[in-house]
Amino acid sequence: MLLKTVLIRLITTAVTLFGVAVVVFTLVRVAPGNPIAMMLPPGATEADIENLKALYGFDKSLPQQFVIWLGGVLQGDFGTSITLRQPVDQLVLGRLPATLELSLMALLIAVALGGIAAVIGARKRGSGTEVGVDLVSGAVLSIPDFLWGLVFVLIFGVLWPVLSISGRVDPRLDIDFTTNFYVFEGLLRGRFDVVGSTLAHMLMPAMSLALPLAAMIAQLLKQNLKEVLVQDYTTLARVRGFGETAVILREALRNAALPTLTLVGVQFTFLIGGTVIVERLFAYEGLGNMAIDAVINRDLPLIQGIVLLFAALFIVINLIVDLSYTLLNPRLRHG
Amino acid sequence: MTVTNHKTALDVIKLNIALPNGVRILRDVSLSLEPGEVRALVGESGAGKSMIGKAVLGILPGNLRVTEGEIILEGQHLNAMTPWTRRSTVAQTAALIPQDPLTALNPVRKIGPQIIDPLIRIHGWSADKAKARALDLLDRVHIRAPERVMNSYPHELSGGMRQRILIAAAFAPSPRLIVADEPTTALDVTVQKQILRLIRELQRETGTAVLFVTHDMGVVAKISQKVTVLFAGKVMEDATTREVFTNPQHPYTRALIAATPSYADLERPFSPVPASLISDLHQQIAQDDALYQGGSR
Amino acid sequence: MADTTLSAPRARRSGKLNLRLWLPLLWLGIVAAAAILAPLVAPHDPLEQDLMLERLPPFFIAGTEPGYWLGTDSLGRDVLSRMIYGARIALFVSLIAATVTCLFGSVLGLVAGYFGGWWDRVISRLVDIWMAFPPVLFAVLLVAVMGTGLGSVIAAIALIDWTRFARVIRAETMVQSRMDYVDSSRIGGARRVATLASEILPNVMPSIIALLMLEMGIAVIVEAILSFVNLSISSDDPTWGSMIAEGRNAIHFAWWVLLFPLIALFLTVLSFSTLGEGLKQRFDPVLQ
Repeated sequence: MLLKTVLIRLITTAVTLFGVAVVVFTLVRVAPGNPIAMMLPPGATEADIENLKALYGFDKSLPQQFVIWLGGVLQGDFGTSITLRQPVDQLVLGRLPATLELSLMALLIAVALGGIAAVIGARKRGSGTEVGVDLVSGAVLSIPDFLWGLVFVLIFGVLWPVLSISGRVDPRLDIDFTTNFYVFEGLLRGRFDVVGSTLAHMLMPAMSLALPLAAMIAQLLKQNLKEVLVQDYTTLARVRGFGETAVILREALRNAALPTLTLVGVQFTFLIGGTVIVERLFAYEGLGNMAIDAVINRDLPLIQGIVLLFAALFIVINLIVDLSYTLLNPRLRHG
Repeated sequence: MTVTNHKTALDVIKLNIALPNGVRILRDVSLSLEPGEVRALVGESGAGKSMIGKAVLGILPGNLRVTEGEIILEGQHLNAMTPWTRRSTVAQTAALIPQDPLTALNPVRKIGPQIIDPLIRIHGWSADKAKARALDLLDRVHIRAPERVMNSYPHELSGGMRQRILIAAAFAPSPRLIVADEPTTALDVTVQKQILRLIRELQRETGTAVLFVTHDMGVVAKISQKVTVLFAGKVMEDATTREVFTNPQHPYTRALIAATPSYADLERPFSPVPASLISDLHQQIAQDDALYQGGSR
Repeated sequence: MADTTLSAPRARRSGKLNLRLWLPLLWLGIVAAAAILAPLVAPHDPLEQDLMLERLPPFFIAGTEPGYWLGTDSLGRDVLSRMIYGARIALFVSLIAATVTCLFGSVLGLVAGYFGGWWDRVISRLVDIWMAFPPVLFAVLLVAVMGTGLGSVIAAIALIDWTRFARVIRAETMVQSRMDYVDSSRIGGARRVATLASEILPNVMPSIIALLMLEMGIAVIVEAILSFVNLSISSDDPTWGSMIAEGRNAIHFAWWVLLFPLIALFLTVLSFSTLGEGLKQRFDPVLQ
């Protein structure tokens, strides 16, 4: 039963990924502007251009190029970046940790802030505090991450400059890590200077990404908590002497959390999509920032690689969410 | 009113409960329970019988308020307490057997912790003692393999089993009073009998007083020593169960007994409570309400 | 009993609903007036550079020059005038782009939801593929492909965000199509497309209007983002996005170049989404 669901999901996933590959491939090739011309110094001959074209496979027909490219991708070969002259997979995987750490940090902040607001709103349901939670979350929700980023740049970068507004880590730090997971590896190696600096740089972009999702979580979770808090088992818990906060945390939260979990899963992909512009805004050295450079420089192989990686990431996350939904609900698990 | 040294398990004195717009749900209800006594609280749906138990336990629906009256649990005046003391007093002395076993257990938590947690966290028992107590009580409500049941989720168990678990959980902290809020209504007839017998057994062994809310005169006869008959939030009759069945004083009580198939006179056909009686009673209550001034402050 | 519990929150909501409609309308009215009357109300030429007057602070800070209320940017251009002219582009993009997106997405959503079958399968798969792209990256890529300019920005917004409409409208259309009145209308001989227009469209309209309002706010943001990465229209043109980009670069010297357009963007986006919620509540027959 579970296996069948997973199998169907995997097949549709493959179809979607193939579609994404087709769209990206077509899109970057109808783009005006000749990437080859941009690579060569002025005064290069026709023959030079032809040579380079052959080198990157641009001399073949589009369908041929697609087949060659897809064949490479399936073997883990994403081609070579035109501007950076390095294998795309190395470049992309080198930047992925930065984006992943940022996204996870943002997710953590969103869940924490949203969860706390929801619990407070549910605890004080019917009072002015709840109205306050509603109003604030409603307003926060409608402002996208880009604007929050700018607000933070202005407040903590300029008016009250306590945080760095660009980069991922203090460049003066000597970092000889084997991976680019500065936070995780820093923790493992006990390099807390690196961890601290990375977190300080990450805080504002992560907050920008987190706020709209936090507001969404606050609204949905509060609503579901209120629905659960009229259930008989919560009444019974009150009779047994548990206070309202204990009832919310011990009895209601897990029952109310399932819809929120789905929301978080779906929205997490949007959050990761948001890293593209937020990384740009904070000059954070992640995938998104690299992607915009790649687009501006018409670096076709790199664009393809990054977009495909994002798409794969989105789809895998959706899959994980679906599975964890099943695992967290005992009724589904045994059913 | 002074509380004598002879402690009753529960005293409810002239309790009034009203909606925000002043409409009363309970009208000057008084009743009392001696320790170890079972009192049935009987009436048709909408009579407000569940509200008495809820008021005692402090779980009235959000829009209902106690406007007047006293609730004295084991000699302690609940109305005079802060919410916090009231809650812990109730938790220490009273327990609830809920109506619907299907919704009264948390679906995402295992059975064991749901029984044991309050014993540890509210009553301050050790984990071992709490677990032993839970196993003992599950055994006494005839749950086979209690260890395995404690490790199950509610949806893995039948409705009757869940109600037995809820009974065990109610008796676990040795409360002085149990409010049983129509505990058999949601169950089928064969299971009903079993559950009634269980409550009776445990109540006798432990000497716990039980306020048994029901609409079924048949159940009343099986379980209680005393009966309070309620109509539209007003006490119609308060007597021993024997008196109520042999010599009912109030016409409504008689009608209620007549409406219960097994107690109706076999020669006469089964008869519902006559509409004329109901409208007479409503008229009477409306007149009383017109004179009532309390709770309007 | 039911009456008392229900009437209290509803009365409170209708009291707030008015403010929720009027405050956003007030702000959007100001923006619209600024856009239409730009040549009349702008104190300076938005493109006029004067290096003698660069980075003048706004009026409440010492060292300002009279007439430059919100200061000037690094090239000595008046911030207030650029914001007023920027309102033109912001409103133009939001109206046109949101309308195009709405038409495109709603039609696909209605078709998928109403006709079902292969229509639905193809459109839904297309939505899935589209949702697998990070939207900002997709927009940047599209504008890069189509070349910069207002037309590209509008096309990019429509090409990316149609999924938002398609998803919601498809789901609502499916629910509506299953209802009885549609069946009875169909038995009555009405043609399918006519049924779609006469029976279903009016019922999904509140959602379309709410989404349209939301989309207007989003369009303003997307334009700003594209300006920010220097891909919207030429960077000299006064758009809120390009001002923000300039302000971000000069942030340590002239924070006001960032602050004022940011406030304008903030209020505009908030107004559109609040208005959308308010209108949805007002038009929703169920909530009435």
